[in-house]
Amino acid sequence: MKLLTQIRQQEEDSAIDLTPMLDVVFIMLIFFIVTASFLKEAGLTANKPDVQQAPPTEEAPSIVLRIASEGQVYLGPRRIDIRSVRPNIERLRAETPGAPVVVRAEDGARNHLIVDVMDAARQAGVMDVSLARAD
Amino acid sequence: MDPFSAGQQDEEDSAIDLTPMLDVVFIMLIFFIVTASFIKEAGIDISRPQAETTEKQDRASIFIALSPSGEIWIDRRKVAPAQLKPTIEKLKAENPQGSVVIQADRESRSQQLMETLDAVRDAGITEVAISAEPF
Repeated sequence: MKLLTQIRQQEEDSAIDLTPMLDVVFIMLIFFIVTASFLKEAGLTANKPDVQQAPPTEEAPSIVLRIASEGQVYLGPRRIDIRSVRPNIERLRAETPGAPVVVRAEDGARNHLIVDVMDAARQAGVMDVSLARAD
Repeated sequence: MDPFSAGQQDEEDSAIDLTPMLDVVFIMLIFFIVTASFIKEAGIDISRPQAETTEKQDRASIFIALSPSGEIWIDRRKVAPAQLKPTIEKLKAENPQGSVVIQADRESRSQQLMETLDAVRDAGITEVAISAEPF
């Protein structure tokens, strides 16, 4: 009988007690589950033209769209409808391939208009649309 | 079979084998550690403009919300326009790889968007997106 208890004692000693480690692992697991935030955010990439960037030259004129405070969209001097932004950009890009698109928004312009115009430009195939302030 | 070994056999059976559970728990722990990105949410809900050409912003870690009334929210706090750049710099130091998403409300003004874009750029972050909802 004495021998049996001795053997058992030895066996228990050799097995490491995993309980504290399990506690720690579970607490870490709960912490990471709680802090995990699977945020799905979609958006349009916006470039801001550099101040040092070279101004558009004769060979590579940029397509400048201006959004007035009241919500009108101007392409150069001409006022255009928001729905005709895309065909206009497509036409100008066909004339001068590689021309960058710059959206100049006046201070009071609403954000959804800016996004609409940027979206139209992206639909026309210009993925790097610059955003600038209208002077 | 002698009675001693039979008793030992019983004892071994009664203890549940924790190894498979430990494996699962460790794999879950590693998954949550890897996916944890410690995103700084803006703190207010805004109505996003809709756009066709949205891209998923997977690397976004800093969110700046612009409310229609002209408030700027970062990391669940309202931020004064003058404090914008230092706040972004502080958050960038915590997560240098992250990009910025500006969650501008549909009705927010362009002036604020431009000021925020300037501040983000001054803080040294070039990857900026304007939040939009896909149709």
